[in-house]
Amino acid sequence: MALFLIKRLAGLVLTLLVAALVIFLVLEVLPGDPAAMMMGVSATPESVAALRAELGLDGPAATRFLDWLAGFFTGNLGLSYTYRVAVGGLIAERLAVTVPLSLLALGLSLVLGVTLGTWAAAHAHRRSDLVIMGLTQLGLAIPNFWFGILLVLVFAIGLGWFPAGGFPGWAADPSLSARALLLPAFALAMPQAASLARITRSTMLETLSEDYIRTARAKGLSRGQTIRRHALRNALIPVLTILGLQFSFLLAGTIVLENVFALPGLGRLLIQAIGGHDLILIKSLVLFYVATAIIVNAIVDLAYGIADPRLRVGRT
Amino acid sequence: MNPAWRHPSFGAGAVLMALVIGAALLSLVWTPHDPAAMRIMARLKPPSAEHWLGTDQFGRDIVSMVLVGARNALLVGLVAVGIGLVFGVALGMLAALYRGRFIDEAVMRALDFVFAFPAVLTAILILTWFGPGLVNAVIAIGIFNIPVFARQARAATLQVVAQDYIRAARLAGLSRPAVMIRHILPNITGLMIVQGSTQFAFAILAEASLSYLGIGTQPPNPSWGRMLNDAQTYLATAPHLAIVPGLAIAITVLAFNLLGDGLRDLLDPRMKER
Repeated sequence: MALFLIKRLAGLVLTLLVAALVIFLVLEVLPGDPAAMMMGVSATPESVAALRAELGLDGPAATRFLDWLAGFFTGNLGLSYTYRVAVGGLIAERLAVTVPLSLLALGLSLVLGVTLGTWAAAHAHRRSDLVIMGLTQLGLAIPNFWFGILLVLVFAIGLGWFPAGGFPGWAADPSLSARALLLPAFALAMPQAASLARITRSTMLETLSEDYIRTARAKGLSRGQTIRRHALRNALIPVLTILGLQFSFLLAGTIVLENVFALPGLGRLLIQAIGGHDLILIKSLVLFYVATAIIVNAIVDLAYGIADPRLRVGRT
Repeated sequence: MNPAWRHPSFGAGAVLMALVIGAALLSLVWTPHDPAAMRIMARLKPPSAEHWLGTDQFGRDIVSMVLVGARNALLVGLVAVGIGLVFGVALGMLAALYRGRFIDEAVMRALDFVFAFPAVLTAILILTWFGPGLVNAVIAIGIFNIPVFARQARAATLQVVAQDYIRAARLAGLSRPAVMIRHILPNITGLMIVQGSTQFAFAILAEASLSYLGIGTQPPNPSWGRMLNDAQTYLATAPHLAIVPGLAIAITVLAFNLLGDGLRDLLDPRMKER
């Protein structure tokens, strides 16, 4: 067990290091002179040199790489070229939007997906099952950002129940801030909920054909009780794995939906950084996203390995 | 009649796909208006006899743009799936061939790593070099597809390799590569087509997202994702602009998802017989 944990942890650290190296090479070494790239073709050599010095881009690449990695622990990730403020502070500030948005969407997709999937399995091949499965096909096909736009059209512009976009800030107006996250979280959760519902239905159907379910029914439990007490727990294990695997889609989804709803989160910051050729900011943001995806997958993997010792051996 | 058409998912998927391909082909020879022609006098017009679905903020005809957008979407899917299929199947079969050895471990680890980069982020990394554009978006989506196909191809190959007729082919003197190409590849093709259909749908969604964010297809090329971005600015005054491109994306994605599901069901009994 200890060996399994150490091996997984070492693998995780190595993966994170390689990811950081790839991002660093692509954004800072391969373009030649990132300072010149950020300033564009019209910049004079003197101003490019000045920017290089200001942003600390004049040292050797290896030193810069190590400094950057250290920055993830000290919080000193350098200065943003467009904002001229510390990248670490910018990221920390924007997390206050992106983290609640992703958690809200994750929770919504889990509740919706599992409820609908279980209902469909319990009523397999009947009308409500067909309707739910049809809806999940639509949920998978409708782009989340278009769904977001439609929600704005109906609930913000039409009915005026929610703001069409923007975010007042948690300190300024907590209740309006929470309401500002609801529509984007719902749009973000929709495709995830659809695929979770499909997976829940199929694992639930498999579980319901097990012998111990028949035993539970035979001892006098109702169908609902059997599902809640016995089937759900067993059917949920594969569902949770898929949820972990889908996390990177959810993360990518926040980038798009923060832009639909003009939310000042990491995703909007990233797109603005691209618009301003702010390589310093892009570098840390991309690593932040990739590292989050890698770490979440590792945690799911680990949890699965602890729950089921047969999976510790590795690939089959 | 072939029984495949009677399968509800496959039939519905095929009909929708014919619709999309029809629109793309039609746009090659005819569109109601020039999709790039701007008529400032006729901007943001609601649907009319002249412009069936109205015009956008530059007075461009929406029907024409949506038709040409179908071409764009299908091209994206085709190339992104092509990249994933060619590299993914080759790498997956290679890994299976050297199962448990260093090459297998190295290839699969590298692909797990690629898979950790969401397509949007790969696209962002690529576009910092070459600038935003359709080609870069398609390459990024294609790269993301490689590990998906490779995992499937590896698992499927391992299943086929265990069969007696493969051992017989080896005993008959066929080299390993020859067995791979002549006997294993045809046997995993069905599964790859099913996966290809699903990834086709994914590619169209991903390109639409990238174009919506302004880092995919660039103007004047019409892209459904891009049209939705433009439409959002005029949501309060011209809501019709936001409906049709989204519907077009949804129909296309639905077509390929249904087709994939149908094919999976239709292939399943044969898979069990093996």
